[in-house]
Amino acid sequence: MPRTLPLLRGRWSRGGRGGAGRLIVLGVVGTLFWCGLFGISWRVLRYFKGIEDIGDLLAYKLLSMILVVSFALLLFSGILTSLARLFLSRDLLLVHSLPVADHRIFIARWIDTTADSSWMVIVFTMPVFLAYGLTFGAGTIYYAGTLLALFLLAVIASALSAWLVMIGVMIVPATRMRGVVILMGVLLFVALYLAIRLMRPEQLVDPEVFDSVLAYVSSLQAPSAPFLPSTWASDSIQAALAGRVANSLFHLAISASFAVLIFCLAVITADAVYFKGFSRAQTAATATIRRRGFSEPMFRFFPGPVRAFTVKEIKTFLRDQTQWTQLFLIAALLVIYIYNFDALPLEKSPIQTVYLQNVFAFLNMGLALFVLTAVAARFAYPAVSLEKEAFWLVKSSPLSIRNFLLIKFFIYYLPLLALTETLIVGTNLLLKVTPFMMVLSTVTVFFLVPGIVAMGIGLGAAYPDFKAENPAQTASSFGGLVFMLTCAGYITVVILLQAGPVYRLFMADLHGVPLAPIVWLWIVAAFAAAFILSVLAIILPLRFGEKRLRQTHL
Amino acid sequence: MIELKDLTKTYGNYSAVQRLNLRIDKGEIFGFIGPNGAGKTTTIKMMGGVMAPTEGVVTIAGIDMQAQPQEAKRRIGFIPDRPFLYEKLTGLEFLRFTADIYGVPEQRFPDKATATLSTFSLTDWSNELIESYSHGMKQRLIMAAALLHEPQVLIVDEPMVGLDPLAIIMVKNLFKRLASQGVTIFMSTHTLKVAEDICDRIGILNRGRLIASGTTDDLRREANVSSADLEMVFLNLTGNSA
Repeated sequence: MPRTLPLLRGRWSRGGRGGAGRLIVLGVVGTLFWCGLFGISWRVLRYFKGIEDIGDLLAYKLLSMILVVSFALLLFSGILTSLARLFLSRDLLLVHSLPVADHRIFIARWIDTTADSSWMVIVFTMPVFLAYGLTFGAGTIYYAGTLLALFLLAVIASALSAWLVMIGVMIVPATRMRGVVILMGVLLFVALYLAIRLMRPEQLVDPEVFDSVLAYVSSLQAPSAPFLPSTWASDSIQAALAGRVANSLFHLAISASFAVLIFCLAVITADAVYFKGFSRAQTAATATIRRRGFSEPMFRFFPGPVRAFTVKEIKTFLRDQTQWTQLFLIAALLVIYIYNFDALPLEKSPIQTVYLQNVFAFLNMGLALFVLTAVAARFAYPAVSLEKEAFWLVKSSPLSIRNFLLIKFFIYYLPLLALTETLIVGTNLLLKVTPFMMVLSTVTVFFLVPGIVAMGIGLGAAYPDFKAENPAQTASSFGGLVFMLTCAGYITVVILLQAGPVYRLFMADLHGVPLAPIVWLWIVAAFAAAFILSVLAIILPLRFGEKRLRQTHL
Repeated sequence: MIELKDLTKTYGNYSAVQRLNLRIDKGEIFGFIGPNGAGKTTTIKMMGGVMAPTEGVVTIAGIDMQAQPQEAKRRIGFIPDRPFLYEKLTGLEFLRFTADIYGVPEQRFPDKATATLSTFSLTDWSNELIESYSHGMKQRLIMAAALLHEPQVLIVDEPMVGLDPLAIIMVKNLFKRLASQGVTIFMSTHTLKVAEDICDRIGILNRGRLIASGTTDDLRREANVSSADLEMVFLNLTGNSA
């Protein structure tokens, strides 16, 4: 492929942003996550191994499910990456002006797409397969076979998605298709997530419903879809685990032959339609906004700059499919979160229910705040970067960077506060907590939310990426990681500061025993420390962001 | 109206702009020309308050940009060379956004928006999303937005890039009219004909230094070129040959 390789050079030379510090932090967090996945997989598989008769069956079924989910993820990721790389990237105009055949451009872009869309799925399923190998005492052939099976699965998913995208772009222009794919993906994910959660899979490990598990086992033995590439990968890995080398190789051969077939099909399709689709992507019309007129009735009582940015932020959010579709995910998150507390079997616990309810309510504060951190990472953290290259408008305007950040802060603070308080109040009502715990958790959250949002806006301003193509890319950057870690530290410290005093207060209330003055002093000091920390969590990140953003050159 | 004193910008060891001193009076159109990488855009960014100088002072209408950036920027209409805008807003919504930021009175906005959209031939496109605009239309929209708050100073980087011949003539006439009304215009350009046509004075920047400044006649004298046009003057003064 002498004329294809030069088209790939940009890929390997475009890295290098950020120093060794970033790599170390990302490496450490990635390794911790990887090890955590391995630990969980190892424990689950050891547990399965301990179940007589059906243990291996459960492990194999889990393997098959993991591969189906991985294949679905690879396919979805492949479709989005193919759309971007093959039809929407900024450098495509230059690439298509070069004297290179369409299929060569396609092959170069496809290799790029395959690497980008699959590395994360492969790297983070590795610990699961390692746990399988160790639990089943598998040999070298299992590990080599698994690597090859995963590689072939990634190649099939990538070639299939590229082929689907090329066909799809002939029907719907690339710019619109992206929105359609994202919306369908999000809805599918929400539906699957709700369906799985509402089936209460935790009952599978509950001895009291074991009868139904036995009934379920009979369905486990039913064969999986024989034409799914994930089934070939699953059969190959299962055979390798059981030491059936020939059988494993047979299924690998099926995967490999299909990978070659679908790749060739994609290359032939590329020669026929790729350029036509790319050409259509550049000429697609965009929507006209129906509402006309000069007045902006919404927020007309706000000061000018506040109104300007609030209206701009809301309109941009509602007109961008990559943004508003996230609301479905948040709604699903809210339902599942509250439902989980409804499903807690507290009455079966040997510990006193009222005590347990309030312990859960206290820990729930931390959990809800971690959920808020994840949501803020997706919305508040990228808020500054979302100005993109139009940030010159802010820099050249008479609005100070401080006021700009404060406006951004309030735009995200109010909805995120409403979200977190809904989570807290909703779960507290289900847990039937004491009025003391209800007040404590709602007030604590009220004071912590601004800190987390301020960290999102401030650190997002300190590490802006005005060239990022979407908010998810910004959230997964080094600054996003710093934000997540800082928030995690902040929440943990506040929860630890409050844990002792809250326990003493709660027990004294439960038993009707008065507290000694020194204990009161400790309680006041702990709450004051948490309050001061919360104030600092608002001021310091915003100041840091302001300072860094002022020095940022466009 | 605009004063630059010892304006300097360095990136590490590289000096993009070196001790630039300039004074531009009210109602004057000043053209800034120079080869690629001469420091024109850097100077313009510092004047617009988009970039902080390493040394020196920018004064706009008697206001120090470093000391009172918000006050200084309120008096400026800033037009960059690349038209990056909020793509998910319509043209009219973008004008509304700008009006709100610069404090254009609510009751005056409809008339002003209608007039500017008409001036820049954008009326038919005012309710379309900016993402569907061409480069030239975006450039025209930025100009319309920059004039909405009636700035005292207009700072323009490459005003004619992406504009069609009709729009170029319109912009040239508009700048002349604004200058006659007392607006000070500082513009960088590679189009020497434009500079020659509308600028009262021209400054030539080379390697971060202002090597010549004056009317076109002054520059011809300085370059020892008698009958040649500005292109020859430019080549002579910057030490290049065609």
